[in-house]
Amino acid sequence: MTFDYHEPTSVREAIELSARFGGDGRFLAGGTDLMVQIHRGRLNPRHVVSLQCVPGLDGIEVDGAVRLGARVTHRRLESAEAFQGALRGLAEGAEVVGGHQVRNVATVGGNIVNASPAADVVVVLLALDATLTCLGPAGERTVALDGFATAPGVTGLRPNELLTRASFPRLAPRSATVFLKAGRRRAMEISIACVAARVTLDDLERCQDVRIALGAVAPTAIRARAAERHLEARPLTDGLMRETGRIAAAECRPIGDVRASARYRALLVATLVPRALARCLERIKLGAP
Amino acid sequence: MTRIALSLTINGQTHDVLAEPHRTLLDVLRTDLGLIGTKENCLEAECGVCTVLLEGAAVNACILLAAQCQGRAIVTIEGLAAPGQLHPLQRAFIDHGAVQCGYCIPGMILAAKAYLDTNPEPDGDGVREALAGNLCRCTGYQRIIDAVLSAARALRTSPPSQAAR
Repeated sequence: MTFDYHEPTSVREAIELSARFGGDGRFLAGGTDLMVQIHRGRLNPRHVVSLQCVPGLDGIEVDGAVRLGARVTHRRLESAEAFQGALRGLAEGAEVVGGHQVRNVATVGGNIVNASPAADVVVVLLALDATLTCLGPAGERTVALDGFATAPGVTGLRPNELLTRASFPRLAPRSATVFLKAGRRRAMEISIACVAARVTLDDLERCQDVRIALGAVAPTAIRARAAERHLEARPLTDGLMRETGRIAAAECRPIGDVRASARYRALLVATLVPRALARCLERIKLGAP
Repeated sequence: MTRIALSLTINGQTHDVLAEPHRTLLDVLRTDLGLIGTKENCLEAECGVCTVLLEGAAVNACILLAAQCQGRAIVTIEGLAAPGQLHPLQRAFIDHGAVQCGYCIPGMILAAKAYLDTNPEPDGDGVREALAGNLCRCTGYQRIIDAVLSAARALRTSPPSQAAR
């Protein structure tokens, strides 16, 4: 394990270095995944391009939309004022990742491109209809987060492209977000299953807009589209929320592994989805004028 | 592999080191600088024994390149108090019998320091959460939690005269 270390001071320089090194180069942000993969011998880059001195990648901007720079850390998502209200689900997804040491450095961008099916923040961003901005030698493009990861560890990021930010629309009035995670312990745990929900109610208390995203129950984080459709224009009754949970459980494609069986994961989805919906409802009511 | 010249600011002192670019801060601290208070164990940011403060925040030195630390202030357990003195956290760990083999303790104390710096009036749950990234395999965590809560009280009533660097 050895490599050359580069510290570009602009996005353009970072892209140029990456283009020059091709498959021999890797971008380094928080290092919580990359450095572990290098230590395990699974990755052996000849060139490591640190992003820590690249300006413009660590902003949290909230205006017409919300934009998260790729280098925004989990700790900043947890503590940002913008994510204490209706967007609380984002802080909830961030605050259950690793310990403080990991969250102090682990980034949003790293979480997305690492493409773990259990990436908690990615699940919340899916429920927020996030889009990604990728910059490469050929220029900038915007892609949907939904579908960006295609398999564990595999994304649609092109060679030498840099993910620069994730963006999502601001929430309509009468909206709430929730993230719930099941693990075998309360901290330092990879999700056995996790759920993010976003609900917007209309004036008649019916679901106007709903997203349900699931983590750790398919090869990538996924949306439970049939479950979302089941709620369209209907009020969130207890019975409907439970039905929706069962639909989501039937949509997911979990594996059994050291943490839990596939069946147990599906049962967790059936439980976590109605809980997340009920909590969204509570939050909208609490926040209502 | 070519070595690169690094200038690291550790415990308020500047150290000039020649190191290969792939070497971690943990490795440079222990091997080049003899600062062996920072421990080495999992090398995967799981256990927390290598915790140091980077610009005041707790980080795992095992996954941090030394090259990434240039121009950024690092504090290790050796720099927490003036030579021959104890920081209130160190005092409290001793007083509460919070140390058994001791291997996890430097990381525990630095993670607790970072937490108390921004949360001077913690409760037990807050301390448990703040130390979730630090594993102890000897005994239990209760005395460690007690020590941190006790140190928080001590720091509120009489902050250390020699401020931790």
